[in-house]
Amino acid sequence: MDLLDSEDNCSLLCDDDYDDDDSIDLYESQTTATGSMGDNVCHKLNSLVSDDSGFEIDEELLNEDVEDDLLSHHMKSNDRAPEGNTSSLKYECLTMQDIFDRMLERVHHLQPIFSMPAEDILLLMQRYDWNEERLLEEWTEKMDKLLIEAGLSADDLGSGAGGNVRGIKRKAKFECFICCEDKPTETFALECGHEYCIECYRRYISDRLNQGKVITCMDCPLALKNEDIDAVMGTASSARLMNSSIKSFIQKHNRNYKWCPYADCKCIIHLNDTTYLQECTRLHRSWFVTCKLSHSFCFGCGYEIHAPADCNVANAWVKKARKESENLNWVLSHTKECPKCSVNIEKNGGCNHMVCSSCKYEFCWICGGDWAPHGRSFFQCTMYKNDDEKQKTSVENSKRTLKRYTFYYRVFNEHEVSAKLDWKLGQTVGQKVKVLQEKMGVSWIEGQFLADSLKILNEGRTVLKWSFAAAYYSDASHNLTKIFVDNQILLSNAVEHLSELLQIKDQEAIMKRKPEFYNKSGYVQNRTRALIECGRDLLRKGICKPAD
Amino acid sequence: MSLKRITKELNDLGRDPPTSCSAGPVGDDIYHWQASIMGPPDSPYAGGVFFLSIHFPTDYPFKPPKIAFTTKIYHPNINANGNICLDILKDQWSPALTISKVLLSICSLLTDANPDDPLVPEIAHIYKTDRGKYEATAREWTKKYAV
Repeated sequence: MDLLDSEDNCSLLCDDDYDDDDSIDLYESQTTATGSMGDNVCHKLNSLVSDDSGFEIDEELLNEDVEDDLLSHHMKSNDRAPEGNTSSLKYECLTMQDIFDRMLERVHHLQPIFSMPAEDILLLMQRYDWNEERLLEEWTEKMDKLLIEAGLSADDLGSGAGGNVRGIKRKAKFECFICCEDKPTETFALECGHEYCIECYRRYISDRLNQGKVITCMDCPLALKNEDIDAVMGTASSARLMNSSIKSFIQKHNRNYKWCPYADCKCIIHLNDTTYLQECTRLHRSWFVTCKLSHSFCFGCGYEIHAPADCNVANAWVKKARKESENLNWVLSHTKECPKCSVNIEKNGGCNHMVCSSCKYEFCWICGGDWAPHGRSFFQCTMYKNDDEKQKTSVENSKRTLKRYTFYYRVFNEHEVSAKLDWKLGQTVGQKVKVLQEKMGVSWIEGQFLADSLKILNEGRTVLKWSFAAAYYSDASHNLTKIFVDNQILLSNAVEHLSELLQIKDQEAIMKRKPEFYNKSGYVQNRTRALIECGRDLLRKGICKPAD
Repeated sequence: MSLKRITKELNDLGRDPPTSCSAGPVGDDIYHWQASIMGPPDSPYAGGVFFLSIHFPTDYPFKPPKIAFTTKIYHPNINANGNICLDILKDQWSPALTISKVLLSICSLLTDANPDDPLVPEIAHIYKTDRGKYEATAREWTKKYAV
């Protein structure tokens, strides 16, 4: 078995592959490899890393998670029939340090020409938007002017008496122009001789550090070096400036580099070859990538995973939602009245099966109808019913359009809220596993079915959620749309069942129903895959296209 | 600190007033000034006197002063509310700049507008495509509002 045939590092998978894959582990790709196969892969993996074949990750960062990640990707490439390289692209997940190393690498290439410290070249490169060609051209044309403009050499005209020394000085008496205080103080000045008291300089630098731009003398374009900044501030503050120069680097190369959009995640995904991206956009495919911390997002648009919708649909949907949400937010308050007794009910779990605590009426949170029919396979409440076609006036039409949109927006939101609540639920799952271990003597591995089910539930919900965006933009009269809606209903049903299972608190009941967990989660996986596939058909055939 | 600095600038302005500009506090509030600029002779604003209001932030000079025209003026970088689009009043502000330097910059903005970074795109468009029409309108406005 050659695991490294076509992809020798992480492969970027478009949703195409994602569908074909057996476990939808692209979301949080954590398939655990077992047995001898795992050893084999590990061996290959090591040789791969030592090969230095493009996947540059720090040895220490190559922790188990990453290995698992790689493993699962390799295994995927292995069990998938090769379709040529068009469907999978290589990407790598980098840290800010990796990016900085790359920046330095480019700077070092230029060092023989410029013969100045790397830091200064970095400054020039930043000024020239990392365009080496343009920089070199201007360098040969007007070296002196360029140096002055970039703040690397003092403009003779502007400076005071020559022979000014850069640095901090102690003065027994000094009147600072900035604060107009006259007192003994430390001062700072560059070679230009524009001298100000250290407190004013500190204040100035800390303001500028927030802006992330090159810091110059307050009175001329001469730039402060990192060591000057650190000396004035008394701490290693220049690191913040470095961070912003890394950010500007990524900004300039934003076709190939993308920040992980998750809050506080500092990972950067790098895609070397973007030629397929355009091709795939044409084919309505999206590229979902996963960073080292298992955050998955779409490389094309930076949103979360939005299958079965493509980037266009997702964008249109998000934009519309932003535009309309102000009108609709009041409609979608957090509580609902019980359809029977009108008591206000707050939903506090992911499951849509509600039981009114006052009158014990069981109903569906989404449609407000009796829950009884929902438990069966004909769960119809996610379908938009176009009740009466009598009114034909334009006013009525626009009202209906809004009503239709409201419906989809509401369902989309419901699933988002449910997903969030499920996520909260997930935090208790870890505890549940622990309790199982302690009280029932269940091994940790054995208890993982809970965590797995939760992951599958989350994936199913996300797909279900975005399927409503796709459905909104689809031609409702087309047969494929009807099939799509049927698939939504099936997935919706499956997801509710699984969600309900996960709400069980009693340990014994959990263990007793373990096979059910397996069955339901397997079913959710199948339905998820089917819905994505169906959505792709809609996009491909032009039945689903964003109108505004 | 801002108080000391503003007082110093006021004294300096009194000692060595720049040509064609003047500035000083309105009433007792040292943080609120009024300034005037004479329309530069080589511009369509020649002959006009333009008034501006200046508000100093409490963290002046680390933050730029807020300056706006109170006299109506037809200019690509100054809008109907008198707001001025000038880099040194925004991100290019430096604590080493003074009101006097800023007023001089505004004077030169009157002579040389910056139509590529316009605040009023319509005026910038006319400035770029029909300079004669722009100058005529600017002169008209000056006569109407600033004399």
